Amino acid sequence: MAVLALTGALRSMSLVAAECRTLTSQAMTQAPCMKKILPASVSSLLIPWRGFLTTASLDQNKTFWKQREKYTVRPIGMKKTGGRDYTGKIRTRGIGGGHKQRYRIIDFQRLRFEPGTDQKEFEEKVVEVRYDPCRSADIALIAGGSRKRWIIATENMQPGDLIRTSGTIGRMAVSANEGDAYPLGALPVGTLINNLERYPGKGAEVIRAAGTCGVLLRKVSGTAIVQLPSKHQIQVLEQCVATVGRVSNIDHNKRIIGKAGRNRWLGIRPSSGRWQRKGGWAGRKIRPLPPMKSYLKQSSVSAGS
Amino acid sequence: MASVPGLRFKASSSALAEFYVQVSRRPERCGRRAFSGSSCAHGKVLPWRKPRETVEIAGLEKITYADRMHYVPGLAKPVFPPWKPEQTDPFHQRSPKPEEMALYKEKPCYTFHQRSNVLEGVKQSLWLTKSKLVKGLPIQILSLAEDPANQIENQDERVQNAIRHSRFWDTTEGRPPREKFCSTLLHNLLHLCGTLQVSHPALGKRILADHYRLSATWSRGEDLFQVRGQNGLLLNSMSPVPVLAGKEEIMKTTDHVLETFYPISPTIDLQRTQVYDVRNDTGFRQDYLYPHAHTLFILEQGKLPRLYPEQLRAKMVMFTFGNALARAHALYGSEPQVLEKPIVVQSIATNGRVFQFVVFQLNTTDLATDTGVKNMVWVEEDQALYEFAKVRPLIKKKAVQVPAGLSGYQPDTFKKFLALCLHGAV
Repeated sequence: MAVLALTGALRSMSLVAAECRTLTSQAMTQAPCMKKILPASVSSLLIPWRGFLTTASLDQNKTFWKQREKYTVRPIGMKKTGGRDYTGKIRTRGIGGGHKQRYRIIDFQRLRFEPGTDQKEFEEKVVEVRYDPCRSADIALIAGGSRKRWIIATENMQPGDLIRTSGTIGRMAVSANEGDAYPLGALPVGTLINNLERYPGKGAEVIRAAGTCGVLLRKVSGTAIVQLPSKHQIQVLEQCVATVGRVSNIDHNKRIIGKAGRNRWLGIRPSSGRWQRKGGWAGRKIRPLPPMKSYLKQSSVSAGS
Repeated sequence: MASVPGLRFKASSSALAEFYVQVSRRPERCGRRAFSGSSCAHGKVLPWRKPRETVEIAGLEKITYADRMHYVPGLAKPVFPPWKPEQTDPFHQRSPKPEEMALYKEKPCYTFHQRSNVLEGVKQSLWLTKSKLVKGLPIQILSLAEDPANQIENQDERVQNAIRHSRFWDTTEGRPPREKFCSTLLHNLLHLCGTLQVSHPALGKRILADHYRLSATWSRGEDLFQVRGQNGLLLNSMSPVPVLAGKEEIMKTTDHVLETFYPISPTIDLQRTQVYDVRNDTGFRQDYLYPHAHTLFILEQGKLPRLYPEQLRAKMVMFTFGNALARAHALYGSEPQVLEKPIVVQSIATNGRVFQFVVFQLNTTDLATDTGVKNMVWVEEDQALYEFAKVRPLIKKKAVQVPAGLSGYQPDTFKKFLALCLHGAV
C-alpha cells in the first residue's frame, strides 16, 4: 500500500525546478475550458512529464506453464497448486504433495486437419501408447503427415496401428474399427463410443475416463442420442465426432491403493478423521434418472469457428 | 491505472480543482493483494472481472487526462505509443518478425541438424537421400579387415588397454561419465590406427577437424531440404576415398523402389523454417589441403539428445550424405546430374561400447524424382566392442554374474574400425 501511495504521489509531482518550466507550452496543450477553472498556481506546478512508473504487485499462483499457444508433444513441467487458486485461498480441499508430474497436451479435437491439406478423411499411425500421470486413461502418440499429437488411447490400441478420422456423414453407416473417429451420424446405432463432443468442433468433453464407453442409442432427424457411462442420456448434433470403442486402462477401478501413503503419492491428502454421525447422505438412494439433456443450441465457441 | 467503473459524476469546477491538486490517488483494490501487512487489513480479494470493452467511434476524439498527468474520474485513460529506448541494448534486443527478415522466403525448407530425431529412422533417411540400403559392410572393407598384413602388433591387448584406459584408469569413481569415456576410447583407437603409418604412409595425409559447419541443400519432390550445422568429428584426407560400387552395380539401382511409410510424411520431425539461406558449403575453404571428407565420427556427448540406435543411424546417413553432397556441389556445380566419379563418405558412431558403421556412396545429385540412379548406403548395426567393464563385480543371489574388470571383448569390431580407417590408404 505504501509503495502504491508513494508511486501515485511521485507520478503527479515533478523533480524539475519550478523556474525552468514553461507555462506557454502547458497552456497550449490544455483544453480551453479547463484553463478557466484552474488557478495559475496549480497549472504552473505541472509540466508534461509522466513521473515514475512503478508497480507494486506480486503475482502468485500464476499458471504460466498452461498458457501456451503452440502445440507440442513434449511434456511440460507443471507447478503444484496445493488446491489454491490465484488469490492463494484453498479452492479445492484435500490436494497437496505427491510425485512430480508433467503435462502432455492432449488433442481432444480429433477431427483437426493439418494446415495446408484438403479437408478429407485421413489416417494416422500409432507410435506409442503410454501412461499419463494427469488422467486415469492411457494416452497414445499418433503421427500422420508431418504432425505428431497425443490422444486418449482406446482399449486395444497398439503401436503400429492405423487409425482413421473422417468428418463426412454418408448415406450408409460405416463399419468402423476401434480407435477410428467419425461423426455420430456416420456410425451405426448401438456402437460403443468414447471421447464424445458436446458441440461440433469443440473437442471431446465426455466419456474420457479409463475404461468407460457410451452407447449410441438412436439417431433422430439430425441429432443423436447417446447413453453416457452414468446412464444419463444426452442429445447432441450428429456432426459431433466420437471415437469408436472403449477407453484404455480398463482395470483402473480394480487397482489396490494398499496404504494411505499411496494416495499421498498421487497428491491426495487425507480427509478429516473427526467422528460425524451418519445422516441423510449415507445409505443407498433410489431416484429416477434425470430427463434427457440436449446440447443442440450452438455454443458461442463452435459458432465462431 | 484503469478508471474505476461506476464512479462517474459530473464534477463541479471546485471539486475538480481539489481533485487536481491531490497528490496521492486512491489505490486500486481490485485483484491486488497487500503483502506488506495482514491480509485481513486489506479485505477481500475481489473476483477478476472482464475488462470493459472500449468503444472506438471514428471522428470523435476522447478527452483524456494525459495533460493532467494523473487520474481524473470521468476522463478517459490516455493511450501512449510504446516506449522506445534511444539506444539499443544488446541484452534486450528483439529480433524482427520472420516475415520482415531479409532471408524470409515463401517456400518452407525442411532442415536436418544435429538435434534432429527423425521418427522413422533409417527408412526416412533413405527416402530423403534417395538411397538403397545394403546390410553389412562392403566386400572391399571386409577384405581389408581380414588381411593379416593390416593388423597391429599385439592388437587385442592394446585395444583392451585402450578400453581400460577409458573406463578404469581415467577416474577414481566407479564409472566415468559417458561423455568422457566415449571420447577417450575413440581417440585411443584412432591413435592405435595411426601407429600403422609406418607400413601405410598414406595414413599421414589425414587430419581431424571438429566444430566445422556444413550446409547442403537439395530438393526432393516439391520440397526443399537442408542438412545444416555442426555434426561431429571429421577425418579429412588429401586423396578421395575409393569408390565401392562399380558402374554395373550403380546402374542396377535404377530398378530399386524406395520404401514409403504412409501415412507419415517424410518431412516429419525435420525443422520447418521459412527464414533460410540456400547454400552449399563443405565448411572448409576452397584451398584447404585436405578437401576430401573421409570418416565422420559421431559421439554421444554434450547437450545433444541421446538417440535410439535406429535414429542414430539415420543421423549418420543424413550427415554423410550432407558431406558428400556439399563436396559434389563444390566439384561438379549445382546442376543435378549423375556423377562421373561417385563420392564416398564413411561414418562411425559410438556410445563408448556399441559401434555403428555407415558407408555412403553418392552416385547422383538428381534427387528431385524417385526414378533413375539411386545412391547407396552400407550399414553395419550394433557392433559391441566389449560386453561389460565393471570396477566391482555384479553379484546376484551370492553368485558373481559379471566379474570385475573388462569382459566379453570382441576383436572383430576393432578390425572393422581399423579397416574403415585404412580404407583409401592401402
